Amino acid sequence: MSGVWVVLEERNGKIGRISWEAVAAGLKLGAQLGLAVNAVLPGARTEVLAAEAATKPLAKVVRLVHALLGAYTADGYTIALEQFIRAEQPDYVILPHTYQVRDYAPALAARLGQVLIGDVTALGEGPTFVRQLMQGRLSGDYRHAGGGTCFVSVQSGAFRADQIEGGSAQVESFTPTIEPAQIRTKPGEPFRGSAQTVDLGSAQLIVSVGRGIKEAENLPIVQELAAALGAELAASRPICDNGWLPIERQVGSSGQTVAPKLYLAVGISGAIQHLVGMKGSQCVVAINKDPDAPIFEVADYGIVGDLFEVVPALTEAVKAAKQ
Amino acid sequence: MKILVAIKQVPERDAQVHIDASGTWIDEAGIQWALNESDAYALEEALQLKEKHGGEVVVVSAGPERVGSTIREALAKGADRAIHIDCAMGRLDALGVAQLLAAAIKSESPDLTLTGLQSDDLGYGQTGVILSELLGLPHSSLILHVEKTEQGLTVKRELEEGWFQTIELPLPAVLTIQSGGNKLRYATLMGIKKAKTKEVRRVTAQELGTTATPVVSLARISAPQKQKSTQMIGGSPKEAAAALAEKLKFEARVL
Amino acid sequence: MQPARRDDWTSDHVWWLRSPMTSTLPVLAEPQHFDLAEKLVFAGLAVGSGTLFWRRFGPILKRILASKKDPDFRLRPLGRRAWDFFWEVLCQAKVIRQRPLPGLAHAFVFWGFCAFALVTLNHCAVGLGLGFLDPAGWFGQLYFYLAAAFALLCAAGISGLFVRRFLVRPRWLGEKLSWESGFIALLVFLLMVTYLAAFATADTSEAARVLWWAHTLCLLVFLPIIPHTKHLHLLLSPATVFLSRGGFSRIPPLAGDEDFGLVAGTDLTQLVSLQAYSCVECGRCTEHCPAANTGKVLNPKEIVLGLRSYLSELGPASAESLLGKYNSQEAIFQCTTCGACEFQCPVGIEHLPILIGLRRGAVNTGAWEDDHGGKLFLALERGSNALGMSATDRDKFVQKLELPIFDGTQEYCLWLGCMGGYDPKGREIIADFVRVMRYLDTSFGVLRKEKCTGDPVRRLGNDLVFQQLAEANLEAMALNNVKKIVSICPHCVRTIQEDWKEYGTPPEVEHHSEFLARHLEQLPKIRGEEKIVFHDPCYLGRYRNVYDEPRAVVRASAQLVEAPRSGERSFCCGAGGGLAFLGEETGERVSHVRAKELVDTGATTVGTACPFCNTMFRDALATKGSGTPQLLDIAQLTARALPTVGPSSAN
Repeated sequence: MSGVWVVLEERNGKIGRISWEAVAAGLKLGAQLGLAVNAVLPGARTEVLAAEAATKPLAKVVRLVHALLGAYTADGYTIALEQFIRAEQPDYVILPHTYQVRDYAPALAARLGQVLIGDVTALGEGPTFVRQLMQGRLSGDYRHAGGGTCFVSVQSGAFRADQIEGGSAQVESFTPTIEPAQIRTKPGEPFRGSAQTVDLGSAQLIVSVGRGIKEAENLPIVQELAAALGAELAASRPICDNGWLPIERQVGSSGQTVAPKLYLAVGISGAIQHLVGMKGSQCVVAINKDPDAPIFEVADYGIVGDLFEVVPALTEAVKAAKQ
Repeated sequence: MKILVAIKQVPERDAQVHIDASGTWIDEAGIQWALNESDAYALEEALQLKEKHGGEVVVVSAGPERVGSTIREALAKGADRAIHIDCAMGRLDALGVAQLLAAAIKSESPDLTLTGLQSDDLGYGQTGVILSELLGLPHSSLILHVEKTEQGLTVKRELEEGWFQTIELPLPAVLTIQSGGNKLRYATLMGIKKAKTKEVRRVTAQELGTTATPVVSLARISAPQKQKSTQMIGGSPKEAAAALAEKLKFEARVL
Repeated sequence: MQPARRDDWTSDHVWWLRSPMTSTLPVLAEPQHFDLAEKLVFAGLAVGSGTLFWRRFGPILKRILASKKDPDFRLRPLGRRAWDFFWEVLCQAKVIRQRPLPGLAHAFVFWGFCAFALVTLNHCAVGLGLGFLDPAGWFGQLYFYLAAAFALLCAAGISGLFVRRFLVRPRWLGEKLSWESGFIALLVFLLMVTYLAAFATADTSEAARVLWWAHTLCLLVFLPIIPHTKHLHLLLSPATVFLSRGGFSRIPPLAGDEDFGLVAGTDLTQLVSLQAYSCVECGRCTEHCPAANTGKVLNPKEIVLGLRSYLSELGPASAESLLGKYNSQEAIFQCTTCGACEFQCPVGIEHLPILIGLRRGAVNTGAWEDDHGGKLFLALERGSNALGMSATDRDKFVQKLELPIFDGTQEYCLWLGCMGGYDPKGREIIADFVRVMRYLDTSFGVLRKEKCTGDPVRRLGNDLVFQQLAEANLEAMALNNVKKIVSICPHCVRTIQEDWKEYGTPPEVEHHSEFLARHLEQLPKIRGEEKIVFHDPCYLGRYRNVYDEPRAVVRASAQLVEAPRSGERSFCCGAGGGLAFLGEETGERVSHVRAKELVDTGATTVGTACPFCNTMFRDALATKGSGTPQLLDIAQLTARALPTVGPSSAN
């Protein structure tokens, strides 16, 4: 069996950061088990990307090349990777836990009589693979029984891509056999949600402003933070009542209900009518000058301070961190 | 259109979970059970398609006797009949569960099979995709909207970071449905009364002829080290901001 | 004037009717001899009038009787019914009390009608030569003079009402002038005038005859008009009051598998039909309705009249939806169930069971599609509280306050409720009430887990979720051996005490105002100069009849000031009926209107006794800018007099 193989994913013409994190995970696993670590990159035109991958401390980088892999389809990727895996017989296949991987990897594993251990957050002795259960309330240790390839996908941010050292890998290609008739789905071009309407309900990042902002003239401070984060702007009821922001941006019991990955509440006290609108947020950050504000009860991170000083500083810090 | 919806009964969101004596699962005593959230959206999508195009909605669920209440809830919301795969779920991995479901679904030959995106308890998010593989059908996942066309289906799929994609695929097919695409209907008294007369066919794992030995096993569960509590970040505004940005990037991983 | 000999059969048999009174007082003139032709004409007209009357009244009566029987109707105990009849019908208590001047005018008209019973009977008997009351006899004189007094009052009353309707034109009577009301006022007036005028003529005069015929024609025209107009209440409302459900907002249980509430005509029960036909269109319900007063579509009078129109045009066997041509779904979901309508109604119409019945019909069949409503139902289907919060939130609060867990040994189970358990303001109220209880050394505990009492879903008509909640809660009560509950929320109190009865036997429950009032002696008082205006919560005041206890608590703390509309007339805060969980209102916000009224009293503090009122006013007062009054629950008022021990309760 040929060691650890990391499946790299192309995103917007680049190899996404989450793929490098998968590489980090693969390197860690390889070190733990004394296995060689390689990468495979499915796609149609991947010379440049493969060269970049080759600068990581991998043994081999294989370009899984076929015209029908240019646009992602579950069938294309499953067929191609199946053939590759049957040929290479890896011990472990590590994938980044992206929407794309979730779409094909379970089928791929099943085709090979295996089961994907998905959304892993840590590696343990054994090896055991740790993932979250019950929406993060419990942790589970998973083991792979029996022979054959073990498929693992790793959660975004669980492993650090910035700690990978340099290296040089051999680049090869592998051409699978895929017939057009085997591709059963027709994917369209990706598009953004309508730019006109505000869809807070599906926003992943939200910066929300409350009465602490005092005047409409101060809103740009918060708007800049939102822009830096790539977040949507939302507000509590009084802001919309005053007409400082349109009613579509109101979060609360009589407005929108949101469940973003990040909800940053600026100058919001946290009345129940507001809380019920955002309690589904995964990570809540609160900035408020009142240490007793109820919003801190539901926040994961809190800063007690003057938002007029904290928010601009945060905007800068976010810009720096994103580089 | 015959639509099959695979639904799962999971512990209620609010449930206080305690690890059982064996350390491999939660203590189920006193747990309130509910229909898995994304399955509710799958059911809603199925019911809306039936309302538009006619046909039948059949729900299938695997689990012990208690699953009956969730099946009845689905019937109350408008499903026409149900299949209950009576079995203990304990040792089954995602492939094992999908094999059971596939065995039950195959004989029904539905036009469309829907599952929720992932379950609220285990959260694998794989059952629907494996199901499509076992049934040999095309599939797509993270679906928010389904439209029936001359050629088959046009679906709206969610991508990362606020992007979407339209996919066309032929029928029969399998889709996994993301939460939030529709407004859920609430269970009504009238629905519950009607549900009493709807068929619930019971089959056992043995009857379906599947004997799955798990490929992946859950060896142990534990409570994560960090309890969710508010991390107050102190220091000057600049310091606090910098510390927060760091935490957002590496701890919360939202940057 | 010589009293004339009577040509009637009774005077031969009842000697005392014959004894003449030697007096010079005027005597009511009765025409003596009607010839056969006249008698036949009279009889014919009477029969005609009666037929026309029955042609209209008969079908109405039939429709009412053809309606579904009320499954929970019990005639006994008769005591309550007899009292209501005496007090509300005979004494016209509600009519007068809630609108004094017009009410008194109406009472005169009504008493006039009552007094005229024998007059009218005798009058008609005279027309057939069978008059039995001797106007010259002592009983006759007495009675007719009494009737004359009533006739004067009645004439004055009806004139006053006429002036009010056509000249003053209060808006509760509607935009359109009711000509039929004017015509009937005229008839009544003429009846009185023709009666009184008969004292000024002699039996034998032509004038007496003319007056007699005039009076008769008025009667015979009036009779068939009755069932065609709101004057049907003359016949129906005594029965309506007598047969009413009793209680307040008494929601009937659903009967059988096919009953989902008021969906179509077939669901209208006899009581509802009777009530629909009894509406006198006075508009008192609308006058006090918070929705109607803030520009909403809802108008309680129109709801009842809508049912009346439905019954008249489609009948009680119709399968057509009740919410369509005559009533709208939009209107019925604007009701806060404050009860001002039912409380005011002088003819015994019970608006709340009707409104909630219509909501049931829409919700239990899934016909109501509302984003917020759906979310509320789903939150309670899957979770424990109406806000959709995680129960661990409540656990954290219980731990933070170090509240003892109820284990069956304590005297009271303190019910947090959804607001007390999850709303920051509600939690403050709980914290302060707990301080008071600890000061008093009251033994209490809180349940480890609470499910919403089900008030919002009950008022919105979702019987499925309500049943689930009530049954689960009753089971928990039994399991935990709960005997007595004390709660800060009048909605919880009402639902536990009354609505849970449908599914079992609830424990005793009281509101914290009742608890505090009872212990006032043992609690320190401030009695400061501060002015506090107390807002009566609908579910504590009108629903539970508790007005004095919270006031006693306020007075122990400061000066009590009353709002213009207080006590039984208290104007809703807008949160009831599940509306706190629904989306934005149309028109003015009810809470803002009430908040302004409270602020205008000049009080520096608004006192509340309900966490919903508290939350609504918090929002409303916040928009008023600086100088707005403080907002404090009575528990907070009491607690601030306590010696500070340990950390402050203020969150």
